This record gives sequence, C-alpha cells and structure tokens, in this order.
Amino acid sequence: MKSGRRRDWSAYLFALPFLALFGAFVAAPVLYGLGLSMTRWELLSREPAVFAGADNFREALSDPYFWKALAATFRFVALATPATVLLALVAALGLHALRGRRQSLYRAAYFAPTLITISVAGILWRWFYNSEFGLFNALLAPFGLKAPWLTDPAWAMPSIALMTVWWTLGGPVVVLLAGLQQIPAPYLEAAELDGAGPWQRLRSVTLPLLRPVLLFVVVLNVIGAFQVFGQVYMITRGGPEMTTRTLVQYVYETAFNNYRMGYAAALSWLLFAIIAALSVAQFRLMRER
Amino acid sequence: MRRARRWRAALLEAAVAGGALLCVAPVALIFVTALKPDAEIVHFRSLWPQSPTLASFREILGNPEEIPILRWFANSVLVSSGVTVLVLAVTSSAAYAFARLDPPGKRTLFAIVVGAMMVPGQVLLVPTYLILNRLGWLDTPLALIVPAGASAFGFFLLHQFFLGVPRELEEAAAIDGCSRLGVFLRVVLPLSRPAVATLAIFTFAGAWNDFLGPLVFLDSVDRYTLPVGLALFQTSYYAEYGLTLAASVLCTLPVLLAFLAFQKHIIEGIALTGLKD
Repeated sequence: MKSGRRRDWSAYLFALPFLALFGAFVAAPVLYGLGLSMTRWELLSREPAVFAGADNFREALSDPYFWKALAATFRFVALATPATVLLALVAALGLHALRGRRQSLYRAAYFAPTLITISVAGILWRWFYNSEFGLFNALLAPFGLKAPWLTDPAWAMPSIALMTVWWTLGGPVVVLLAGLQQIPAPYLEAAELDGAGPWQRLRSVTLPLLRPVLLFVVVLNVIGAFQVFGQVYMITRGGPEMTTRTLVQYVYETAFNNYRMGYAAALSWLLFAIIAALSVAQFRLMRER
Repeated sequence: MRRARRWRAALLEAAVAGGALLCVAPVALIFVTALKPDAEIVHFRSLWPQSPTLASFREILGNPEEIPILRWFANSVLVSSGVTVLVLAVTSSAAYAFARLDPPGKRTLFAIVVGAMMVPGQVLLVPTYLILNRLGWLDTPLALIVPAGASAFGFFLLHQFFLGVPRELEEAAAIDGCSRLGVFLRVVLPLSRPAVATLAIFTFAGAWNDFLGPLVFLDSVDRYTLPVGLALFQTSYYAEYGLTLAASVLCTLPVLLAFLAFQKHIIEGIALTGLKD
C-alpha cells in the first residue's frame, strides 16, 4: 500500500481552491512583478507599458534617493534588530526561570504590544514623542530635559527603532521561551553537578543548544526589519530631511504617489534580493561557527 | 544559602515584571488617556485622569457623517471574518490533501508553496494592485478577502499538524464506511482543533491589523477598515488626541479580547510554527 499507492488525481479536489488562489495571488504576482520591473510604465500617462530591459535597475543604481533610502533602511535594521533580539533573549531567560501561571501572565504582557495595530501604535507614539506636549518630554521636564525625538535628523531614526523594539519584542520572546523549554533539563543538571555556575551554564549549554531557534528569530527579525513601513508612514512620513524614508516607504511613494509602476517593481525586487542574500549569509555564518 | 536563593528569585521576578510593565504600560495608557479631557492630555500633570470623562467616546460615536467609525468597524469585522473563513476553508482542505492523500507532483508544489513564504509582501504589492485593477475588485472588500486566502503560512501550519494525527483513527473511520470528506470533517479537523484555533486567531488578528493592504487597495472613505480609517482620521484631527485615542480604544479592544480568550492556544501555536520540520 505504501510504495504502490496509485497517483491520486482526485486529491486535487481538496487542494484546488487553495492552489488556484495561490497561483492567482502569489505565483502570478511574483512573475508579473519580475516582468514589470523590466518595463517602463507610468500609470498616469496612459501610454502602454514598454519593455525596458535592465533600465529600471540601472536607474535605481544611479538614483541618489534609492541610496539614501537604502542607507536609512540599513540604519534602522542596525538599530532595531540587535536591540530586539538581545532584549528578547534576556526576557525569555527571565521568564524561563519562573513557573506556571506567573510565567504565562508575564508572557502575555510581553506579547500584548504585538496585538496593537500599527495606526494605533503610531498615533500613541507620536503623542509620546511630541516635542510640545508629548508624554516623554513631560516626564523629562522635571529634570530640566527636553529631547527633539522626531524633529532632529539624528534622533528620528533611533526614535522609530525604539518604538519598534516595544512593538515587536513579543514574538521573539515567545519563540525563544519555547526554545528554552525544549532544552532537556538533564543537560543543565549535569553541568551543575560538574560545578558550572549559572553564567557558565548559559554560555556552554543553553546558548549552543538554543542556536537553531536563535537563528530562526534573527533571520525573521532581519527580514521584518528590512520591510519596515507602517511605523515610518504613521510617525514621520519619512522625515525629517528624508532621514527615515526607508525602502518600502520609497517603493510606496514611487508606485502610489508617482504611479511609476515599473520602477517601483524594480525597487521591490532589489529589496527582495538584499533580504534573500542576507538571509543566506546568516544561515552560512551561524552554521560554520 | 536558601535565603540567598530566595532573594535572587525575587530579584529576578522583579526584573521580569518590570520589563512586562514597560511593555503593557503604553497599551494601558491608550485606555486611561482616552478618558482624559483634551486639556489634561495637552498639559500633562499625572498619568491618571483627574476628571475622567466619556466625552471623546460620545463625540466619536455620535458623528457618523464626519467620522464613520462604526462603518469602519463593520468593514473591519466583515473583512477579518471573511478572510478567516476563507483561509480556514481552503488551507485546511489543501493541507489535508498534501498530508494524507497523494496528488501527483506533490513534492514540487509543496516546495513552491513553502518557498513562497520567503517572498516579502512588498514584492507582491504593485503586481497584485494591477491584477485587482484588472478584475475590477479595487475599492471593494473582495480585494482584501480573496488574495488573503492564498495563505502559505496557514497551509504549512495545518500540514505539519495533520501529519501528527494518528493514521489508525482515519483508517478505522474509513472501514466504518466514512467517505474521504467525512474522514476529513469528522476525524482530522476535530483532532486538530488547537492548530485550527491558532490559525483562526492569527488570521483574524492579521487581517484586523493589516495596514498596507487597505491603504493601497481601497479608495472610498466609507469602505475603509479601522486601521486605515484611523490613519486618515489622525491626519485631519491630529491635534485632538482625546478623539484619536478613543478611536484607538475601539480599534484595539476586539483583538485584545480575542487574544485573552484564546491565549493558551495562541502561545502553543506560535511555539510550534517554524521550529519543527
């Protein structure tokens, strides 16, 4: 029965609706997008799309706004990802040391911000950051301090990253905690019997065994961070002086403010290439060590 | 020795609780601050409202001409439940076919679908917009519901769970004369309830909170979902934080309640995704 099972065409009756949707709204857009990235197509001009070969990609490479957006995106990832993963690891280790109901209560608290939709989170943090009557400056006022959270080009991106750490910490915490709970207790007990202190057990038992899960968290976080959009759109709209205009914000403006569909498709494929290359590099790096 | 250990445990819990408080405080602030009159928000004195009022809620709910928030709420409910029903229906049956039956070309198709999870949504954005334009679905709920049915994540999640359902139960049901559809509906699905519940709440919350989709695919204000309605609202009422926060409460409450009701399933579900192969 196992090896000689006949090819079962009728199984497609079950799979057909999903596969049809997948074909129409994932596979087709991917191929269509690749085609688009090689055309010149301004939606407003009513002129038909024209094949343009690699023109859009060439234009991107000499477009100073593309490079500025790329630099802003890298800056965001460098600020947000290490902070998120490190804090999530610390929180997960702390949660892991607790038991039962208290653990699930705190875990839910760490996860709560993730459930807030970006427009609400954005509205809230715009109020926090407002330099006139914002909450943060109100809390700083008694100490005679005042910070230009969103108005100073040097401060704006770190402010977006800080808000992002709060908003996205919950997912990594939950996943890392699950990873910690999968580590067999006898390993740690054996290390303790051998006289290893808590720090040493963490370094030579817990972290090495957690590495696959940590890799998963890091890769997913980097992918998510490169696609940052909602925070920027809601809080700064890319300002001040375009210091927070990230790639996706630029793609959005190119496609839906300027209606340059071909160029926008090319920009998003460049973003995809960067993300894919970095993901592969991370897997390599973590595996070799 | 024991005393030192107890101290250390208390210190650790205090640190964990402190972090948890920092995470929850902004969420709680939405609710508390929405009860403040505007003057108290602008001139900050204390976190707690000194003269709490429901004025902002009254104003936002009593002004459907300018602020169709109930309309947006209804749109959000329609879209999110539509997406959830569609995703559950199509991904569960396809996952069952791939986990249990043997359609030709299964391996290739499976690899393509799972591989597609790595494509960032932005790559799909512009082409999907143009396809929806061709179909005439832009600015209708269909634009948000139908494409969302192609959830590779949902397919993958349920597929992994269905693999774990004991085959013996299905075979016994088949011997008792249960049809293939019957086995799926009466044996496999009920046994996978935690996975289905997880996918349901994930999908619902994802659709409820989706921002980029409605922002790009919808045009008319009275077709907006809550998140996009709120974003528009914020640009025209940006100075009226009381109103904006009251609207935020209405937007946040349903997801928060759904999360609390399903907490256990959700967390188990997240722990399982992506970690098992």
